[in-house]
Amino acid sequence: MQNIEHEIKDTNIRLCLDCGKCTVVCPIAQHDPAFNPRLIAQRRLSQNSRGSRDDTIWSCLSCYMCMERCNYHVKFPSFIHALRAESLSEGTQIQCNHGGAIQAMMRLMARGDLQQKRLGWLPKDVELSSQSDTLFFVGCAPYFDVLFSDLGVNALEGVKGALKLLNRAQVPFNIIANERCCGRDLLLQGDRKGFTVLAKANMDEFTRHGVKKIITNCPECYYTLKVNYPNMLGSTGIQVMHLTQVVAPLVQGGKLSLGKLEKRVTYQDPCTLGRCSRIFNEPRQVLSAVAGLKLVEMEQSREKALCCGSNSWLQCGAVNRQIQKQRFAQAEISGAEILVTACPKCQIHLRCAQKSSDGKIARLEILDLASLAAQSLD
Amino acid sequence: MNKPGASIVVFACNWDGLSCIEVAAQKGLSYPASVKIVRVSCLSRVHSGLILKAFELGANGVMLLGCSRSGCHFEIESGLIEQEYEKTRNILGLLGLREKKLALIRLPGGDGPGFVKQVNDFIAGIEQTEPAAAQ
Repeated sequence: MQNIEHEIKDTNIRLCLDCGKCTVVCPIAQHDPAFNPRLIAQRRLSQNSRGSRDDTIWSCLSCYMCMERCNYHVKFPSFIHALRAESLSEGTQIQCNHGGAIQAMMRLMARGDLQQKRLGWLPKDVELSSQSDTLFFVGCAPYFDVLFSDLGVNALEGVKGALKLLNRAQVPFNIIANERCCGRDLLLQGDRKGFTVLAKANMDEFTRHGVKKIITNCPECYYTLKVNYPNMLGSTGIQVMHLTQVVAPLVQGGKLSLGKLEKRVTYQDPCTLGRCSRIFNEPRQVLSAVAGLKLVEMEQSREKALCCGSNSWLQCGAVNRQIQKQRFAQAEISGAEILVTACPKCQIHLRCAQKSSDGKIARLEILDLASLAAQSLD
Repeated sequence: MNKPGASIVVFACNWDGLSCIEVAAQKGLSYPASVKIVRVSCLSRVHSGLILKAFELGANGVMLLGCSRSGCHFEIESGLIEQEYEKTRNILGLLGLREKKLALIRLPGGDGPGFVKQVNDFIAGIEQTEPAAAQ
């Protein structure tokens, strides 16, 4: 518990002025008065908080909106993650979405003797460089496509698009057959032990293959490999880049030319890629490089972008649906035909909202950025 | 017959599925003690999360035991379990765990011998491909 106290101190939460700006901008707090970031901080920091359990901490989206607004840069999402770890260690049972299937899958992946068969989807025309020290980290896309097949999720289309773009740009890369889930969702839920097992298993694989650089298409994998792995395991010595960081300079420098697509699109900044990793321009540069593609912004975009409504497979309910409805309304007003996102999880959550809506949610097409850019190459 | 063997979880529907197990017990038919029965109101209640959780907790195999398609107690068989079964089989396949570790069995009510045969065959299949599970 000593560590948790130390971690809480590191989030600067004691600098909190009680101003409530975090609560004003929090998408959950706007629809659910019971969730109040300011009060969560106040309750935890008050002298008599010991022993009392705060059940509202599980609703946080880790969307970093509060941190964007906080004058003292209090790392509220990290504060919440620490509180969750503390709560979990005290035996709290958390309510997981999808019947806990994803958590169970992640924990099954942590097994040492695991030999996954996860590359059946790999197109034959993709050129892999087995000698390359650059790894394309596929992430959980093959699993998502199975688990969310009823929603029509095709996260693998994004991955295939990414591979096609890299091939076309002649960026050599390799793929490993036994990569595990990066473990971000376990970390965000407070399961440090589960996360560390996955992280170590992945690091062992990276070391075995002599990986020096990793490219990911999923923002969550990107941030976890880049920031959380070194934080938890010490320096990894691996450079981690998001696909858009690789592709954007290439298209801008004329080394990769994308094709033509006459479409009007809007871009959903994934929280982990945008506010959390500060990658706002690169995805837009890639989209702008597609001839004929018109990028229109939603009312809330870039630093102010609205979250897709759900995170770390926890607590998805009516409040989350309200956020998604709000986001779709913004997308519809923008006049776009396609909602482009760079995160498979945004795709899952937004498709889910579309499927279960009462017909009041816009029927926009939802596409992964990499798959859209790759489509233009055909 | 009561030797320790592969650890099996059987999700049995409260109606025909469970009646098979009860009849097996009444007739004194034996099956390994490592078979754990979980009663559910209908197999449609079982989803991939529950099945994967059983594997996470160390089960070597999961059997879904329910009524015949036309015999669902709730009159309209939604087909949900088929969807979840297929989905979970595919996930197990990706994880490199053998798809044979999951079975969907439909039996008519009261078929005790049928259940014992199915569960024994299922265990034999698992122990054959996974000898470590037998210990």
